[in-house]
Amino acid sequence: MLAYSIRRVVQSIVVLLVVGLVAFSMFRFVGDPIDNMLGQERTDADIERLRGELGLDRPFVVQYGRFLTNAATGNLGVSYRQGRPVASILMERAPATLELAAVSGLFAIVLGVALGVFTAIRRNGIAANLIMTISLVGVSLPTFLIGILLIYLFAVELGWLPSFGRGDTVKLGGWSTGFLTSSGLKALILPSITLGLYQMTLIMRLVRSEMLEVLRAEYIRFARARGLRERAINFHHALKNTLVPVITVTGLQLGSIIAFAIITETVFQWPGVGLLFINAIQFVDIPVMAAYLMLISVMFVGINLIVDLLYFAIDPRLRVDRTVTEG
Amino acid sequence: MERIGRAWNSDFVWSFRHSPVAVVSLALVLVLVLSAVFAPLIAPYDPFDPASLNLMNGFSKPMEPNTFTGDVFWLGTDDQGRDVFSTILYGMRISLFVGFTAVLFALILGVSLGLIAGYVGGWTETAIMRVADVQLTFPAILVAMLIFGIAKGITPVHMRDEMAIWVLIIAIGLSDWVQFARVVRGATLVEKNKEYVQAAKLIGRKPGAIMLRHILPNVLSPVLVIATISLALAIIAEATLSFLGVGAPPTQPSLGTLICIGQGYLFSGEWWIILYPSITLLALALSVNLLGDWLRDTLNPKLR
Amino acid sequence: MTVRKSMLLALGLVLSCGVAQANTFKWASNTDPQTMDPHAVNSAPVLGFLNNVYEGLVRRNQTMVVEGALAESWEPLGDKGWRFNLRKGVKFHDGSDFNSEDVLFSYQRASSEAADTASWFAPVSEVKVVDDYTIDFMTKVANPLFPSSIANFMIMDKGWTEGNGAALPSKDKENHATLNANGTAAFQLAERQPGLKTVLTPYGGWWGKTEHNITRAEFTPIQNSATAVAALLSGNVDMVNPAPIQDAARLKQSGGVKVIEGIEARVIMLGFPHQADSLKFGTDAGKPNPFKDVRVRKAVAHAVNVDAILQTIMRGNAQPASQLVSPAMSGYSSANADRPAFDVAGSKALLSEAGYADGFSFGLKCPNDRYLNDEAVCQAVVSMLAQIGVKAELDAMPVRTYWPELRKDAYDMYLLGWSPGTFDAEHPIRFLAHTPNAEKKLGSWNFGDFSNSRIDEMLAPIQSEIDPAKRQAMLDEAAKILQDQVAYVPLYVQPLVWGARDNIELTQRPDNFFILRWVTVK
Repeated sequence: MLAYSIRRVVQSIVVLLVVGLVAFSMFRFVGDPIDNMLGQERTDADIERLRGELGLDRPFVVQYGRFLTNAATGNLGVSYRQGRPVASILMERAPATLELAAVSGLFAIVLGVALGVFTAIRRNGIAANLIMTISLVGVSLPTFLIGILLIYLFAVELGWLPSFGRGDTVKLGGWSTGFLTSSGLKALILPSITLGLYQMTLIMRLVRSEMLEVLRAEYIRFARARGLRERAINFHHALKNTLVPVITVTGLQLGSIIAFAIITETVFQWPGVGLLFINAIQFVDIPVMAAYLMLISVMFVGINLIVDLLYFAIDPRLRVDRTVTEG
Repeated sequence: MERIGRAWNSDFVWSFRHSPVAVVSLALVLVLVLSAVFAPLIAPYDPFDPASLNLMNGFSKPMEPNTFTGDVFWLGTDDQGRDVFSTILYGMRISLFVGFTAVLFALILGVSLGLIAGYVGGWTETAIMRVADVQLTFPAILVAMLIFGIAKGITPVHMRDEMAIWVLIIAIGLSDWVQFARVVRGATLVEKNKEYVQAAKLIGRKPGAIMLRHILPNVLSPVLVIATISLALAIIAEATLSFLGVGAPPTQPSLGTLICIGQGYLFSGEWWIILYPSITLLALALSVNLLGDWLRDTLNPKLR
Repeated sequence: MTVRKSMLLALGLVLSCGVAQANTFKWASNTDPQTMDPHAVNSAPVLGFLNNVYEGLVRRNQTMVVEGALAESWEPLGDKGWRFNLRKGVKFHDGSDFNSEDVLFSYQRASSEAADTASWFAPVSEVKVVDDYTIDFMTKVANPLFPSSIANFMIMDKGWTEGNGAALPSKDKENHATLNANGTAAFQLAERQPGLKTVLTPYGGWWGKTEHNITRAEFTPIQNSATAVAALLSGNVDMVNPAPIQDAARLKQSGGVKVIEGIEARVIMLGFPHQADSLKFGTDAGKPNPFKDVRVRKAVAHAVNVDAILQTIMRGNAQPASQLVSPAMSGYSSANADRPAFDVAGSKALLSEAGYADGFSFGLKCPNDRYLNDEAVCQAVVSMLAQIGVKAELDAMPVRTYWPELRKDAYDMYLLGWSPGTFDAEHPIRFLAHTPNAEKKLGSWNFGDFSNSRIDEMLAPIQSEIDPAKRQAMLDEAAKILQDQVAYVPLYVQPLVWGARDNIELTQRPDNFFILRWVTVK
């Protein structure tokens, strides 16, 4: 177990290093940051001077090396655009994304499980089939379009909810939260639905099919034969047994919620790290792009690592497989 | 004849015939695919030919004569005076081509890597699955932007419009292969220890043959389900990439590009530029998704 | 205190708040000013925003006329330079006094190599403090335009800036002035969250006469234009700049919102490679460059139906352009106000005269996120050129890759917009028409290497001529040469469209600067 864990952690670090290398080799193709940093009246000499100052004239491997050595000491560099340390920019923006991800995750799980159970129990009912079909509409349109349509309907036409941003936020230490003000909570609704819709559908379908499978299992039939009430069977026995795969998938999905918040944040002008990243691409803000990618990589690789280790601990068969294939 | 009869009565087709949703979805997919394929025959205009466009036709309302030219367009025109109906047909060609090719690319890549990883194991498996981790890290948008940048540097300009399409395909395909690989690897791990595979090994079959002949057929149904769902996802992903500015070129708009153009006119009253392409995209993706749904339920014997 | 008493007290507080009306004004724009340092970045979003917080020696009024700000008056020192007589009793937001030391310090800071604004001071040879409230800017040669060229040169407090370790602007490090500001203008910085929210509050100690009635102003950047329009329509913001041009008509009709339209200083034009020997793109890549022939350039000018572009893509909100500056700029040449007529037959005749009766194929480069509807305009140009048999292959890209491509000369034709920072016709001659000369910092945006000896020789006299009539004669001549040679094909002057709630009164300046002290909330 220990040997496996260590090997897995080492692999993860290698993965992170490779991600960084790939990213740095490609940054110069995104564009040239210099034009955004100098005004209209710049000269070619100014351009070359600044390029030299930023080290952009060096090979990408050298740039990457410098990024790594700085990152090792906790210095993520300075944003080309804002002229401020990337670490503090990320710290400012992270709460917005994390709160949005948490709320959409919650929305997806609660509604997904509830609808999943419902559609499984009423497998052939009209309502269940309707829900199954409508839920597919949600994943058959691009996220940005859903977001814009929601804004149009609920912000412009009905005027119920704000059209953009986070509303008022309250500072709790270094963390700015939108949970404590009414405008902050209102502002969360539309972006969370937009972001969580896809995951909601996914979870709902997963719960449904797992439930259907479990409901056919022997012990459920047995419970039914014993005369247990339907409700007790559905919730106590069946749902409980479907939750393990649901939790695994949800865990993996949390990572992609954060990664794919980029589009939702752009549409709703949500001031999180995704919007920061899109801005960074627009202005070729290499330090911000690099830091964001490393952050996302750490998250994904970390989640993968945890899931793998958990599986390994839980499922002894896998261990046998490993010894067979690797022995 | 007997064969057809047998096929008609097989479980699979029986289940299809008795699922109205599946029948309607397939019909809709077929209609859309065919009208895309035969777009040059159906469409009244060629929206990809700049010489045929008259800017003064821009923003014509559906079924109403244009104020300047008097021309009438069924579904109106966009900002360049392109007939929306024709552009939807031509755009759907691009969307479908990108979708199909990207999924095919992802499928081939994912299935082969998954098979190899699951069957060979060891360092090969570790390397492949870690590459999959790296792949998951990069959002499709970023992959698209980076590939776009590189491709731009190495292709001659007159090929760039075509190149943009291939960039989309590679970007979407690359962000999609991992799930094929994971499923196939998992299934392979299970299959490979079964007796028939062990037996095949014992009689000296080559690993390649074992993978293709014995393991692959057993993992095909989840692959088919994933492929169908992925097709819908790929078509939507193409639209999203267009929204972020790395989509099909504006001179040859896809369905997604058209929606993005229309998005800018949502508040200005030219609702038809976004509405009709969106409906088309929805119809396409929804029917593919419904088909995928039905496939999943049908191919999963546990649910029957 | 009894419950009743405290309730009365609370009621009283509520009432008193009601009397002193709180007018929070919220506005949005597509770009966040990336720094609060007025010398670090020479870009319109930064300078426009900071004009509300900092002030220069001079400033521009509602109609762009230069008037005194921190300088009460100024006079030329013969042809040696300019003397500025500073306003007395002005205090910075932190309470410290303003005097000529601050001007000298700001000059040194803004003209340092670390600053992005150094080019404004290229004509300056020396700055001399005469006394606490008099300062001389000596110029290398006579420079009649100097005072109006430094309207955006903003004055910082020497003590505050040095005391906080921000003596030099910094691009690759954060310093105190990046996030904080201490100016003399009508508003002070209350809160700064980059990319998110910036809050300004009125400065009670401002020297000028207050015309606005804002008690708090909040700025938010919103990039997606649909989101911005939605925010305006739903009342989440009071003003957006810019409002998408296509939404103007609809916004005017919807209740509660109005549209403020004007003409910006920016002229959109097509540029050519004047020196390149061969075409680089399209199916004719490698063949001789047809754009070297003035007849081909003329044919292009006649083939583009600018009126159609303005009618549809610009929704009738823009004006055609005949030269490199708009009629609102000083030095505009009224004598050359006609632009080439739309004439397909004439255009084809010119092409066959030049030996291209069958047309040719080339590559058109275009930005897609720089100017209003830039990509749509380029597409329209492509289909218009197709009518005369010239096949343009459009390559539209974001501006982050666009300028590098132009610098590499990777184009056969390109789209460019130019807004003269000095609001004078001399500016585009210096940057776009003069033969490129890195040493003298001339022609730095003349990507196509247009070169005309008469233009080159006229630039210096235009810059130093004091007699307006003589100066205008030279500018007229330059405009004529550029038109005759078709150095560029000026298309139109970019429109300026802002959206605001009905209860907002504001002034739109042609430089697209939004000045808060002209805003009233009703």
